[in-house]
Amino acid sequence: MVADVFLTILTVAFALMVVFSKKTVVSAFALLMTLLSLAMIFFQLGTVFLSAVQVLVNAGAIAILFVFVMMLINLEQFGNNREKSKVKLVISTFTVLVVLGVFALVINNNIDSLSVVNLTDNSMKALFDKLFNSYFLPFEMATVLLLAAIVASVVIATHEKDESIEQMEILKAEEKL
Amino acid sequence: MSIYYYLAAFLFCLGLLGTIFKKDLISMLLCLELMMGGVALLFILFSKSTGFLDAQLMVIFTMIISACEVAVGLSLIIALYRKKQTIYTDDIKIITE
Repeated sequence: MVADVFLTILTVAFALMVVFSKKTVVSAFALLMTLLSLAMIFFQLGTVFLSAVQVLVNAGAIAILFVFVMMLINLEQFGNNREKSKVKLVISTFTVLVVLGVFALVINNNIDSLSVVNLTDNSMKALFDKLFNSYFLPFEMATVLLLAAIVASVVIATHEKDESIEQMEILKAEEKL
Repeated sequence: MSIYYYLAAFLFCLGLLGTIFKKDLISMLLCLELMMGGVALLFILFSKSTGFLDAQLMVIFTMIISACEVAVGLSLIIALYRKKQTIYTDDIKIITE
């Protein structure tokens, strides 16, 4: 119980840092810490494999990818002198509070049925048995999706040719004709 | 254990708040990741309370999809930065211009 409360406080603190930090790099590292503390919560709940995957994929790859992209984009040239619209902040806070209230109401009403722990088989063998039998097609689709994402990100982020150079090349080709 | 349900709801709502009011695209993607974390935690809690292993498999698929989303989103941001030299949403008025 003490560990639960401690991990919750840790996650909430880092999550607040992600949203309310002024510098984007600090937000990225706070996100890294949030994902790591989420991995600790997964471990605490007994899902060891998902905890390891969370550390490897989400914390190890995605959060670091953000930092690499920040290196590519020179963030310091923008500064932090953007004017903040108060109306937008108030409206978004109100919306989010309403959503949070609905969530809390639903959780409060069903807390007795939700907190029952009756997982019979928590082993990785059972998990992978299910993954490679009844979820085999979605698994293969996920691999195709990953391949498509790799190709898409390479195609989108590749440096395009300068338009003027392209037009010159078209003109040269026309002259030859 | 029931405190984790509130934590999942809180993480989702905090990510939603950040996605709405942040101004640069990288911070918005960071907050989307926060929302994904909340959803993954909720899936694991459902798996623990109902006894179905399917919810844990959903977490694996959620992670795959969020990895794809981040890869494509960040490459879109880089392409946008090359074209317009900005990553702020209020500088991008391609549709309204």
